[in-house]
Amino acid sequence: MYYIHTIASITHQDSFQQANVWNTLTPLTPESTLITPDYKLFIPPAALRRLSPILRMAIAAAKSCQENNEDKIDAISIGTALGCLTDTEKFLVTFHSAQSDTLSPTAFIQSTHNTIGGQISLDLKNHSYNMTHTQNGLSFEVALMDAILCADDGKKAVLVGAADEAIGFLKQLQPDIIQDNRELTSGTTCCILSRERKASSIGIVDCLVRAETSDWQTDISDFLDRNETKIADIDAVFVSQLEDVKYVDHAVCYIDYTGLYYSASAFAVHMAYDKLTHTNAKTALIINRVCGNQLGAILLQKDEAPH
Amino acid sequence: MSNLREELKAQIIEQLNLEDLTPSDIVNDGPLFGDEGLGLDSIDALEFIVLLDTHYGIKVPDPNAAREIFHSVESLASYIEKTKA
Repeated sequence: MYYIHTIASITHQDSFQQANVWNTLTPLTPESTLITPDYKLFIPPAALRRLSPILRMAIAAAKSCQENNEDKIDAISIGTALGCLTDTEKFLVTFHSAQSDTLSPTAFIQSTHNTIGGQISLDLKNHSYNMTHTQNGLSFEVALMDAILCADDGKKAVLVGAADEAIGFLKQLQPDIIQDNRELTSGTTCCILSRERKASSIGIVDCLVRAETSDWQTDISDFLDRNETKIADIDAVFVSQLEDVKYVDHAVCYIDYTGLYYSASAFAVHMAYDKLTHTNAKTALIINRVCGNQLGAILLQKDEAPH
Repeated sequence: MSNLREELKAQIIEQLNLEDLTPSDIVNDGPLFGDEGLGLDSIDALEFIVLLDTHYGIKVPDPNAAREIFHSVESLASYIEKTKA
């Protein structure tokens, strides 16, 4: 069993450093905006001026986790589907319209996907293993699996999370490249994963990653079989697709609360974490089918053994 | 001449995203780099190279000279004036 604790999210919900997100969730409306903290409290001004919105929120969430974690973080594993879009757009626009031979280095440096894990590492002054995973709709699940491998490899505290940002140009492209017309949003979630159980821990029982599924319900059934449980016994089910609510009794569509970004299943983990912590629910399942035929699933469990 | 210095200050603030500063916060002959100055670093030095090329058509051919040229707004302005003369 693996455990997560010290979770932090910046989303369209009032989620950052809140004791119980589950109690305050409200479905998104067209007026919903990203609710951000005062980043100056988390990032030095000299660094802050260079950082795009996705880097600011990912670093603030990571730093919040570090501040609330007793152990030194000894690995960083981050998922992002589309990476640093603001800097990518800025670099490409400058490149396209450049009147000189030289281009601003900042947007170029920060336009690559692996900037996120790297910038977190720099800002935390943590030079241990760090990796940014980009696997479309499964980016968070792959980052989580890497974190589990790190824990198996002896890392005591792994910072695992995900971040994605929406920009105006992505919304223009949405009808052509994203087969989903729900509101595109931004968000980040980070948490600490370890093999050590603590008072605030919720267990990660298992994680499923299917790059392509032809029958997601059978795959979920097989996933639950291998964990010796069945869907009817799961107390809280979180799904990415609204239509899946009719297949899974008592399911909640987490995209209704996050808006659409491909790594939003990370915030579903936050929702599950708070539900398991603050209610009588003992098990939770997250089913992520946000991107095409990809399938991700995360099984969580409240561990009630004495600490 | 002083217009160039004020123009440079505005360009520096914009190029380096120094959103908390105004041109009046930057002293003409004050150091731009290091803790005793504005705290700029090596990436900002690259931004200065872009700034000089984009706005003034000036290239800095000798990297070793950059440290002196980029020391302050005054040294930047003097270099531009000398090169353009």
